[in-house]
Amino acid sequence: MDFQPDASLEAFREEVRGFLRDQVPEDLKGQQRCTRSPREQIMRWQKLLNQRGWGAPYWAREHGGTGWSVPQILVFDDECSAAGTPTQDAFVHKMLGPVLNAFATPEQKAEHLPAVFNGERLWCQGFSEPGAGSDLASLRTRAERDGDHYVVNGQKTWTSYAHHADWIFLLVRTDAQVKKQAGISFLLVDMKTPGITVRPIRSIDDAHHLNETFFDNVRVPVGNLIGAEGQGWSITKFLLNNEHATTADLPELKRYMRELRQFATVLRVGDEPLGARPEFALKLARLDAELQAVSMLVQRVARLEQLHDPASHVLGSMLKVRATELQQRITEAQIEALGDYGAVAYPHPHEAAPAQPYPLQALARGISNDMFLRRASTIYGGTSEVQRGIIAKMLFQF
Amino acid sequence: MDFELTSEQKLLQDSVRRYVDKAYGFEARTALLQSGRNGSAQNWNLFAENGWLMAALPEAYGGLEGTLVDSAIISQELGRGLVLEPYLGCAVLAAQTLVAGGTPAQKERLLPQLADGSCRIALAYSEPASRGNPESVTLRAERDADGFSLHGRKSLVLGAPGAQAFIVSARIEGTAGISLLLVDADSAGLTRQALPLHDGSWVEELTFEGVRVGADALLGEAGQGLGALRAGLACGTVTLCAELIGAMEKTIEVTAEYLKVRKQFGVPISAFQALQHRMADMAAELELARSMLHAALASLANDEEPARLKTLSAAKMLIGRAAKLVCGQGIQLHGGIGMTEEYLVGHYYKRAVVADLLLGSSDSHEALCAAALQAELGV
Repeated sequence: MDFQPDASLEAFREEVRGFLRDQVPEDLKGQQRCTRSPREQIMRWQKLLNQRGWGAPYWAREHGGTGWSVPQILVFDDECSAAGTPTQDAFVHKMLGPVLNAFATPEQKAEHLPAVFNGERLWCQGFSEPGAGSDLASLRTRAERDGDHYVVNGQKTWTSYAHHADWIFLLVRTDAQVKKQAGISFLLVDMKTPGITVRPIRSIDDAHHLNETFFDNVRVPVGNLIGAEGQGWSITKFLLNNEHATTADLPELKRYMRELRQFATVLRVGDEPLGARPEFALKLARLDAELQAVSMLVQRVARLEQLHDPASHVLGSMLKVRATELQQRITEAQIEALGDYGAVAYPHPHEAAPAQPYPLQALARGISNDMFLRRASTIYGGTSEVQRGIIAKMLFQF
Repeated sequence: MDFELTSEQKLLQDSVRRYVDKAYGFEARTALLQSGRNGSAQNWNLFAENGWLMAALPEAYGGLEGTLVDSAIISQELGRGLVLEPYLGCAVLAAQTLVAGGTPAQKERLLPQLADGSCRIALAYSEPASRGNPESVTLRAERDADGFSLHGRKSLVLGAPGAQAFIVSARIEGTAGISLLLVDADSAGLTRQALPLHDGSWVEELTFEGVRVGADALLGEAGQGLGALRAGLACGTVTLCAELIGAMEKTIEVTAEYLKVRKQFGVPISAFQALQHRMADMAAELELARSMLHAALASLANDEEPARLKTLSAAKMLIGRAAKLVCGQGIQLHGGIGMTEEYLVGHYYKRAVVADLLLGSSDSHEALCAAALQAELGV
């Protein structure tokens, strides 16, 4: 155990900073990143990264990725967030991509991987259903073989960004006669296929990320099956176990804290800055301390992941529980910091500004949207309750 | 940064754990509590023989040239056994203050004796109203012809019973700043009142009524003691935090085992989800606290003073509260048996309660963090 800073990691940080400073145009910087960036920006950013040789920052070299270590990935994410670049398509980079690399046929790779690198195809994820949330394996969307096609019928829900996506990766039931996990298959579907309907779900953050996606006799070529029929559940477990250190969304946590510190100096209570108020300063102290601990926990999980130590799973579950709760607490503290104006429903940053600006708008806009959106953090990617169950079983064999 | 123990660190951890497992079973500890104050001299000699007292002392003065990481490793293991000997008070707080503040001659004379266990010194820095703040010093040192005469009080001196001398923080008349003085424990005019703490350890309240010391009692330079005191307290704070990590580990292990054997409604109570989730929360609390300890160790190694102090305070606050939560829930999950003196889990909670109050309470440290943040922000 030693806590000397890693000089090579700091050199890498400088390299990323140099790229962001010299090669990324200004209109691709300075954005808030909590929600996904608009489609055109994701695509421009992806092309730019690909030109630099960083088209797949999270993948191994053998798959055309950067081969970065997990700590390097954290540095890259951190610097991109600090610069406010667009987001990448996380669905393909962090979830589907590793699955393609591990399970896809050469034909499937040739079809999909170039589009990942040059940013011309965006993906969404079709896992959850109205009756299959935490109990994902009970999903009912079915795919029936008809010649060299599957015919897909059913409904997926919470399909984030399906309305921007070109393709969807889908869990379907191909066999209803076997144990529920064994009857699931993993299918890639072009969103332009006839029979797919996407309906928006507006969420409490006053935005449209979520959708219901309906499949009505959608014909999918058999060649779009990943792995074998019935292998979908083990592929899903592989996919969900791929990354733990980044679930904390540490760059966003740090941004929230930067903003909260800014509020402390800019906002005033009576004749003093908000930060001078003891009740605020003490709250800031608690959040700051916990963020410091969470940051170090992220480094620990990253290190274990790098070593392929299975302990990264249970520690990753703990990190997910605590970091997502902290996301909620810091964003709530932001609303509280705004005082009365914390109650105002400012227009969403992606929507048009009101003709007559609302008071405090420049500072406060978007804050409540992030805060409300963060209620989802403890639900997606395995709810906090599911994580606690995992921790109890893995750690204590209860 | 590297979180895995090196082979040497692993050896050190294993040696302390073997000792604690063997010598510090619950019954042996109970017997020690009844037979003496702060463990036994025999155990202390064993600590010395095993090199634990000298681990983090400079090689030039009889030490092994280790770092604070070594002290943390030792302390974490001692915390698993609720070890009573004053490792924190004597081997860390006083020893590291001496390392930081003593002249070469003083270190040459004293450190080898601390390293081999033949002498114990305790750090008398806190006062009835100071609540862990090392700058809050009212004890007066009046200059006289060939030294100083001390007047005032020091409170809750850790490791004082059995110590041969104290490092005392004082204000020398006519000199700005805080000075450190070395005072023999049997000095005339020094009254020592032993006080028991909830965890079964003993401390002393010291009253100085014209205690005479020579000019050579001054540790380092007059008025320059605060830096050394802070250095000693930083090491002590990290060591105490590490001890609490060990205490939480053991509480969680013991509780998990109990849930598997205790049956109610015809099943082991570990089958109940409410209890499983509580255990998961306790484990997550522990790991977050462990990461905070790492953050403190990293900050001490890399940061400038303001950031170091803030991180230390954050660690004391966060880990102190975590330990109270985890050890308190250890009692809760045991049910009635957890309330009994004859069962160990309640004793871990008592140590957590005491530790939270020592070296500045979590409330005090929270206020220090808040003030540090205000200074950073310029508000």
